[in-house]
Amino acid sequence: MRFLEARQIEMFDKKTKKSFLVNGVGNLKFKAGIVIFILISFFILNATPFSKVLRGFFYSFSRPIQEKLWEKGKFISDFFETLVYARRLKEENEELESKNRELITKIAELEDLRKENKILRRALELDLQEEFDLKICRVIGREIGADYLIIDKGAVDGISFGVPVITQDKSLVGRISEVYETISKVQLLTSKDSSFDVEIFEKEIYGLAKGKRDFKLLLDLVPKEKELKEGDKVVTSALGGNFPRGLLVGDVIHIDKPDLTSFQTAEIKPSFELKELSSVFVIINFAK
Amino acid sequence: MKKKVIFSILFFYFLVLLQTSFFVHFCPEHLNLTLIVIALVNVFEDRKENFGIFSAFIGGFFLDIFSEKTFGYYIFLSICISLFIKFIFKKYIYAFQK
Repeated sequence: MRFLEARQIEMFDKKTKKSFLVNGVGNLKFKAGIVIFILISFFILNATPFSKVLRGFFYSFSRPIQEKLWEKGKFISDFFETLVYARRLKEENEELESKNRELITKIAELEDLRKENKILRRALELDLQEEFDLKICRVIGREIGADYLIIDKGAVDGISFGVPVITQDKSLVGRISEVYETISKVQLLTSKDSSFDVEIFEKEIYGLAKGKRDFKLLLDLVPKEKELKEGDKVVTSALGGNFPRGLLVGDVIHIDKPDLTSFQTAEIKPSFELKELSSVFVIINFAK
Repeated sequence: MKKKVIFSILFFYFLVLLQTSFFVHFCPEHLNLTLIVIALVNVFEDRKENFGIFSAFIGGFFLDIFSEKTFGYYIFLSICISLFIKFIFKKYIYAFQK
């Protein structure tokens, strides 16, 4: 009985082993077959235009879906990108604004230099530098309600009280009325406190110019018998000693001959435009 | 089983479409979501099942369809990934679970 049982077990083991071996070989062949089939399929697909046909079919079939997905994806991506980069954009914007301000300042500085250069060139043409010891100054302000200018040079630059201020065209602007360390005040020739001796150019007619405020200037004390014409050029005279001789003051524009007095008066139009006055020259070596 | 096959075909088809048309706006250029999903399917698959290899084939097939590479490149790559994961799990993880 025991022998029979042992025999049966041996037979079962052998069968199982054989079956396993047969199945194993079969499985291996099947797997190898699949691999070979796949490889051949790949080769055929790539060697023939079939892969193109297959791809074309899927592309045309999927195009509407892909278009929608692309649009949605782009929209969402843009939305999140805006959120993510909002801060960076703000910083970039601030940086650019700052740079812009710097550049504007530089442009303004260059513009000022250009104007200054132009004025200096004009002054050189008139040989002003040879005639006087000049200091170029920039106009930095105008006193409200009075005919006074503020310039950017002061005592440290050699500016002293009372010295004349002219333009590049040799036109008289006024004189220094107050000197500070780094700035000075210019009393315009049209100031109410301003009066100085003048003469009519090439006519030997002398008179007194008086400031009337609001950029108005009056020519007074001209004898009636002297022939004065509108358009006559008025220049500074050396009589008073306030200004050098020959500086252009303005043009006679309106003559008045009152009956009661022996003098005639005239209105003088100053030879410089206040609005266009950005730089002036101070004659620093002028001594009364 | 049939349902599973149809579902996986549709799933990988739409996944590849999403990858090539939708996620392309967010994901880094070289990040292949389909290959990641294939790897995950193989990782979380039951040890007795072989559906992961089929998924790899389907995923690779659709990647090949929507790519300019030689046809079969992604099928081969994804099946390799699948087999590699299965090999690692069989050799190092299931062996310790016994």
